[in-house]
Amino acid sequence: MRVSKSERGFIVVAMSVAIVLLLACVGFAFDFGRIYIARNEAQIYTDSAALTAASRLDGTLDSVRKARAAVEHLPGSWNLGTQPFKGIVTEFSSDGMHWTETPEKAADSAGPWTYARVSAPSNDLGIIFLRAAGGPETFRVLAHSAARSDPARLVE
Amino acid sequence: MNNNQRGHAMIELAACAGLMVACLAGAFQFGYTFYVYNQLVSAVGNGARYASGRTYRAASPKDVERGNEVIRNMVVYGDPHPDANSRPVVPDLKPDEIQVKWNFATTGNTSAPESVDISILHHQVNAIFGTFNFSGRPAFEFPYLGRYAPSESEK
Repeated sequence: MRVSKSERGFIVVAMSVAIVLLLACVGFAFDFGRIYIARNEAQIYTDSAALTAASRLDGTLDSVRKARAAVEHLPGSWNLGTQPFKGIVTEFSSDGMHWTETPEKAADSAGPWTYARVSAPSNDLGIIFLRAAGGPETFRVLAHSAARSDPARLVE
Repeated sequence: MNNNQRGHAMIELAACAGLMVACLAGAFQFGYTFYVYNQLVSAVGNGARYASGRTYRAASPKDVERGNEVIRNMVVYGDPHPDANSRPVVPDLKPDEIQVKWNFATTGNTSAPESVDISILHHQVNAIFGTFNFSGRPAFEFPYLGRYAPSESEK
């Protein structure tokens, strides 16, 4: 085989391009894999938290306080089980349509408060590889679940 | 082609192929581990949901342990009563790698569980080019919503 001067090093160039593309693909797979796992973790956590809150509700404002405290003390972690959930929002409703974080201040504060909705709105997952390709520095993993009481069951 | 150039292409290919294979091995290793971890998350979540709605039989410690075994089967096989040919939902996952922990209210005179924790005690993911160990995660706690069957002394 004869290799002319202009053809020398062609494999290095071709492989370099291929490796850059390969690394980009690996990076996409790595970051999207983590996002997918984090979404799954967050969804199971909010399901559990909504059921926990709903199981404490009996319609009264006192049960709302108990439900809120139970969610605050519920253990849970995400990002491959390494980070605790932060900024969890617990809302309540008497009809499953109009939600409020503070039933105590609502016009119809008497309730009955029978629905609970839990959201995990601020789980920012640090992006490692996609950033190099112009992607965002973080990706917000959102999850929410709603449940009603008596008997406690998921409705959303 | 002179002597210096002979085999040049082969050396270039060998060097670059080595790097490429390393990239592919890393991609496989992490990709497979992520896949298994996600399967574990789903399995533990399903098991915890199942445990939260199951009747808690407290007639004797044996009854409680029997119930825990069924929950472990649910996590590992996706079926509380698997047959002999059932395969684990996660490769190499065994029932004794699952921890079932019942939490009871510290106040009041009821012995019904308040919640149930399901977690992976220890699981090793063999990703061919390397292994990853998961201890204590994934773990989920669900409120106990099932029927409570008390022990004889509590009746």
